[in-house]
Amino acid sequence: MAVSWQRRLAARAPAPVFLAEGARIGPLRETLALSPGIRLVDTPRHASVLVVAGDIPTGWRDDLRRLHDQLPAPFASVWCRCEPFEALRNPIRNDAIEALPQGVVETHRELMLGKRDSAPRLLPDEPPNPWEGLGDDGHGGEGMMGGTPYGRPMAMNMQDDLRDGLTLDTLTFRLGPFHSALPPGLQAEVSLQGDLVQAWTITRKPFASVVEPIFHAARQEPVPIAELELSRARHHLRRLYRGLRVAGWPRLAERTLRMAGQLSPNSDIAGLRRALERGGLWRLALPEPGRGDLDKEQARQLGGPAARAAGIDEDLRSQDAHYRRLGFAPTCREAGDTAARWQQWLDEIEQSLALAGQAARHDLKTAETAAVETPRGPWADGSPHDMSDLLGEVLPGLEWGEALLTLASLDVAALDLHPLDIWLADTGREGRA
Amino acid sequence: MILDQLILPWLLAWLVAGLGAYLVAVLDRLMATGSAQAKSVWLAPLASAAWLMTQQATTTEAPDAPAWRLAPALYLALAATGLALVPWSPTLVGVDLSTSLVLWGSLEALATVVIFLHGWSANSHLALIGAYRYVALGLSYLLISMFVLIGVALPAESLRLTEVVAAQASLWHVVSQPLGLPLFLVVGLGLTFWGPLDLADSEDLSGGTAVERSGPPRLVWALARAAMLVAFSAIAATAFLGGWMGPWLPGPAWLLIKSLAVLVALLWLGRRLPRLAPERCVTLMWVLLLPLSFVDLIWAGAVALWMA
Repeated sequence: MAVSWQRRLAARAPAPVFLAEGARIGPLRETLALSPGIRLVDTPRHASVLVVAGDIPTGWRDDLRRLHDQLPAPFASVWCRCEPFEALRNPIRNDAIEALPQGVVETHRELMLGKRDSAPRLLPDEPPNPWEGLGDDGHGGEGMMGGTPYGRPMAMNMQDDLRDGLTLDTLTFRLGPFHSALPPGLQAEVSLQGDLVQAWTITRKPFASVVEPIFHAARQEPVPIAELELSRARHHLRRLYRGLRVAGWPRLAERTLRMAGQLSPNSDIAGLRRALERGGLWRLALPEPGRGDLDKEQARQLGGPAARAAGIDEDLRSQDAHYRRLGFAPTCREAGDTAARWQQWLDEIEQSLALAGQAARHDLKTAETAAVETPRGPWADGSPHDMSDLLGEVLPGLEWGEALLTLASLDVAALDLHPLDIWLADTGREGRA
Repeated sequence: MILDQLILPWLLAWLVAGLGAYLVAVLDRLMATGSAQAKSVWLAPLASAAWLMTQQATTTEAPDAPAWRLAPALYLALAATGLALVPWSPTLVGVDLSTSLVLWGSLEALATVVIFLHGWSANSHLALIGAYRYVALGLSYLLISMFVLIGVALPAESLRLTEVVAAQASLWHVVSQPLGLPLFLVVGLGLTFWGPLDLADSEDLSGGTAVERSGPPRLVWALARAAMLVAFSAIAATAFLGGWMGPWLPGPAWLLIKSLAVLVALLWLGRRLPRLAPERCVTLMWVLLLPLSFVDLIWAGAVALWMA
């Protein structure tokens, strides 16, 4: 088949990829974000390749089918460590994460050049729920209001606005479980008035979050403090990357991610902090002081950086004699709000890099093995467990943008207690090669 | 007459809109130096456009079909109309209206309607939030635009853009009205919802009003946004930087250089700053920038009287 110049040109475009993240997949989003020839997008409508990666619970396959069918033709799906749908002819499966980016780029090229047919639709082209309207312009209810046309409630004037009491129509919809701004797996039913969050109800909890294998190893045997602290700094930088993307700062987000892949005991983030401050992240982009705040009890339950941002002076590293030798003391803030948690990331990254530098010079290992302070929180007798229900208390009353920036600042998923068998520790370098 | 007054202005406006939009894409990619996507900056926009042309134009469940189809084209038409108002020299003007500044102001207001229509007609929640946001923000920057534009009309004693340029023969407005251009640049970011004022099509809304768009309509929407940025830059260069005036080079070349400078400034701001939180944005507009636009107007009036 002759390929038109237009399709040949289209094949040279970066592959627009929508990533559906399952459980236990590690920093795949970050790897793809830095891969040449790939452009991660936030909606399936803007993608030509759907990457499904990680364990997806069986009961979620219908959500995945709907997501699959939202991609405009021609499109393809690539399955990584996940069983493809049986209905797909010749599904593309690629379990080697190192080879995945190149595979995705090739898939996009083949689609554009007509070497590969577009994936078939898996669902009939009809609304997911039957029409329940009454009359020609029926909306499923009586009078002007009410009803659930196509199974979805209409925007209804049900409650007063939390902000000023002005009664506006309430819009209720479901978000997730594959929404790029939410923790993987999280699904919520959200009620909005205008862009103000009225209610946030968790309908599916996020997948347990994974940390680098060294945190698991630290519970078995002494590990080099330098490596442990670099892993912690990397974890926080990756969270900062996701937050900065939501904040509409893609260039700095990418710089942050590259930095995460190139950390060494001599690294510093002074330039990044300066760019964030001069760009006005705290003065202009993040929610105002006091917004998205946790009370002491909520912060204590969440633990880790969120607790320390609220002034709770708890960090298991204080109990380690070798950390004390390095002069470690927990770094804390007082406010406990969204901006404080973003600041806390930077403070802890700087602290971790300083500790890594000192520990590398003295070749120090951890002294304690029974307890380790993970980037998610303390892991001793107990481990960080799911706190996503907290979102239902914190997010109502915030504007949409504030809510998502607050969500980005909160690590609410449980900690996965099993180490991931592979880990892309070299995300940044690999992507830039 | 038909050639001079109808066909040539039409061709000029669409040519500048098309080439300008391409230039915006190239410059924006150049500024993303270090990005994973920074390779082949000249070819990349064309490749992305070709990809969108091959892609299916999806639709949502029960959109307002006419508005959903028309909104991108209307926004592009507004950008082209804005470009038609720009005087490239004393004689080379697409549409030399005696009220061209008023028409530009009305284009800004109509843009608000079109952007709202784009988000609302999709029948999709995130697109709708983007539309609401834009309308909530629009009034605050439109008022700033109005005061700033009256400021440049005062010394000219005319609402005609060619007269506004002629009035800058002795001193450009960027010097005689130092608050004007910075305030107008903020208006430009708002009008094109670019960079820090990208509240309608933002990442936290997964693309906002364009979240459901794919294929050729999405290409038209992207083209329209870029073309509007070009139109705005040309109007700003006309109103504040002396338009076609300058030594040695012909008038159109000077306007091109000045428009390019404004365009680069807008794109740089877009890359340099994060998106403003809506509440902080509205506060900034009403509490700081709008009073500053009053000061600009009073200043412009005083200078005009003094120079007269």
